[in-house]
Amino acid sequence: MFAAILIYGFINSSILALVAMGFNLTFGISGVANFAYGAIYIFAGFLVWIFLNTLGVNYFLSIILAFISSYLLGYLMYRFIILRVRGLPLSEVMATFGLGLAIMELFRYLDFVGVKYSLPVFIDGSVSIGGHFIDYQRLLIGVVAVALTVIFYFFTHYTKMGLAFRAIAQDDETALTLGIDPDRIGAFSLALGSSLAALAAVIILPLGTISVENGYEVLINALAVCIVGGLGSTVGVIVASILVGYSQTLTANYIEPHWMILVSLAAIAVVLVVKPSGIFGKQKELEERV
Amino acid sequence: MKRGILIFSVLAFLAVGLFGGIPAARAAKPIILGVPTSLGFLEGKEGLKAVNLAVDEINKAGGVKVGGKMRPFKVIAIDARGAEPGVPVSEVIKAHKKLILEDHAKFIVFGSFRSEAAIACMDVVGKYKVPMLLGTAMSPVMQKKVMKNYKKYKYTFRVCLNAVYLIKYLAGTMAYLNKQFGFNKVFIMNQDVAWARKTGDLMVKLVFKKMGWQVVGRQAYPTGSSDFSSSLMKAKAKGAQVILPIFDMPQSGILVKQWKSMKIPAVMAGFISPLAGPSAWKVFDHKISGAINAIFEIGNIPCAKVPKSVEFFNKYKAKYGKPIEAGHAPAPGYDMVYLLKKAIEKANSLDGDKVVAALEKVEMDGAIGHIKFGKDHQVIYGTDPAKTAMGCMIQWRKDGTRQIVFPPSLAEGKIELPEGLKPAK
Repeated sequence: MFAAILIYGFINSSILALVAMGFNLTFGISGVANFAYGAIYIFAGFLVWIFLNTLGVNYFLSIILAFISSYLLGYLMYRFIILRVRGLPLSEVMATFGLGLAIMELFRYLDFVGVKYSLPVFIDGSVSIGGHFIDYQRLLIGVVAVALTVIFYFFTHYTKMGLAFRAIAQDDETALTLGIDPDRIGAFSLALGSSLAALAAVIILPLGTISVENGYEVLINALAVCIVGGLGSTVGVIVASILVGYSQTLTANYIEPHWMILVSLAAIAVVLVVKPSGIFGKQKELEERV
Repeated sequence: MKRGILIFSVLAFLAVGLFGGIPAARAAKPIILGVPTSLGFLEGKEGLKAVNLAVDEINKAGGVKVGGKMRPFKVIAIDARGAEPGVPVSEVIKAHKKLILEDHAKFIVFGSFRSEAAIACMDVVGKYKVPMLLGTAMSPVMQKKVMKNYKKYKYTFRVCLNAVYLIKYLAGTMAYLNKQFGFNKVFIMNQDVAWARKTGDLMVKLVFKKMGWQVVGRQAYPTGSSDFSSSLMKAKAKGAQVILPIFDMPQSGILVKQWKSMKIPAVMAGFISPLAGPSAWKVFDHKISGAINAIFEIGNIPCAKVPKSVEFFNKYKAKYGKPIEAGHAPAPGYDMVYLLKKAIEKANSLDGDKVVAALEKVEMDGAIGHIKFGKDHQVIYGTDPAKTAMGCMIQWRKDGTRQIVFPPSLAEGKIELPEGLKPAK
């Protein structure tokens, strides 16, 4: 039983990390709010389903098309919405949240309701680890989450573009004096974050079915992980995913699954009271001190 | 010139009024049916479609005869969203009030999706004396309220299955599993909503304890949960032979996939809404053979022994281009409109009290079987379609078809164990 908790806790943590990665990139690292993140997640899921089932496009190609569409959606969202309210954090949050609601409700309006919206797994079957069966799709989630974490750490710390992402979060104007165009980087950050939401969707959604409600759930989980870990910290996202993920699994196993959802919300509340910048949120901590 | 224009205008006005305006002026005033359900949930969406199907049929045939006139039905639906997590009951109450006070709904059809809200709305319809027929909410508390304070709550009726009747169908299935395969260890997983909690409680109290089963574990999941591994691990560790799921949320599809991928050696027998419809076979990658699922009302599945259920199922498919996927709600939604028509015609009035009195006496054969209300305003369900309304249990077969396996009066085949699972005796 303990081995099973370790395995499924790891998978749960990986799902949270995958879900939070794109949100952390835009809102945490570049300081651009994207509260339409959950909507983009289901947008990508439904798009793959439409390409695959309605238009008969190959699965792999459908995924690529969903990535491109999500990237474009993120980019356009910056150009036509964020740009007009840039620098007003509350307006950015409200504008993107409103757009997210509109996207989700549009799918509901277009009759994307029911259980038939499901994506096929990449690799069928399962493997026994310590006598506990785990399907390949879940293993893939774990592998992708670890790989993406490593890539992102290096991207945001050792590449020009990654450093530019962090620069615009610290100060737009100073970044401009150093030759960084905040709008170009901001648009790219939102586009990249959106395609990461699409990546999370195509890997996680085959575990179950696609429903509009997934969008709300994803946004709450992403927020919880980023707040606990500290906005902008890749390491923080990982640590928070592990903390929240294992806490949820342990709660489900030793208390009741009923209380699982409270773990994320309680974690947000505790961190905001004890350490508002999050466990690894150095930048925000500095800002708070100043 | 001016005089000529005036005369022409008057003549034109009279002509439009006398000839062009005739159909509009003489068209009978429609009887408004308010539908305040959760349209974002499969049962709500398909339930509304079934209501519209019945309304279209009735209107095409001339409408409802009341006060010597034929009047059409008109449906006004509100997505009250009561089934969604975090939506308070007050929102559903508002939807009911809007339908009654602003849209002048004479009847509430289908009602609130969740029992939590439906029970609260009994006070609303009682206050305005508007008869309400429920199509999804399943808690037996509704009947208790009717019996306890008839004068106040007599306006509420339920056409769909309730939790108590569901238990009877589940109990029959468990008895078969016990007798045929020697199974007596069960793990219960239920959604944390009123009807599912109550069903779980009653299954423990009225079925498993009496039948000598061992309940090796029980866990409740809030609506929206998307990981069921903890319960499945426990079920396996504790040697459960049967898993009894009770869920109506879309995310419960994940449970089916996890049950298969984790290779849990137990029969899945209960209710998971995504497992009910014909598309489940494709959605779950052809991996659900052996799963046993409740269909709360026949008609949502065609049952050869009840021709009206087949007729309704086919009419629905012909109108909307796809078959019914929900195992709960559409068939009662369709039947309740016809029930209402009968009651209004019998009462020859739209007065709430008179229609309630007529509904109490009305009987008909519908898509769900023979329909008749009990004293507690619940349609009586049983095992003989000639005498009662019917629910059933289906089992997914290896060829991707659903076969009715319980009750014996409707059964098309016997329960078979899923591949790899051995009987306990």
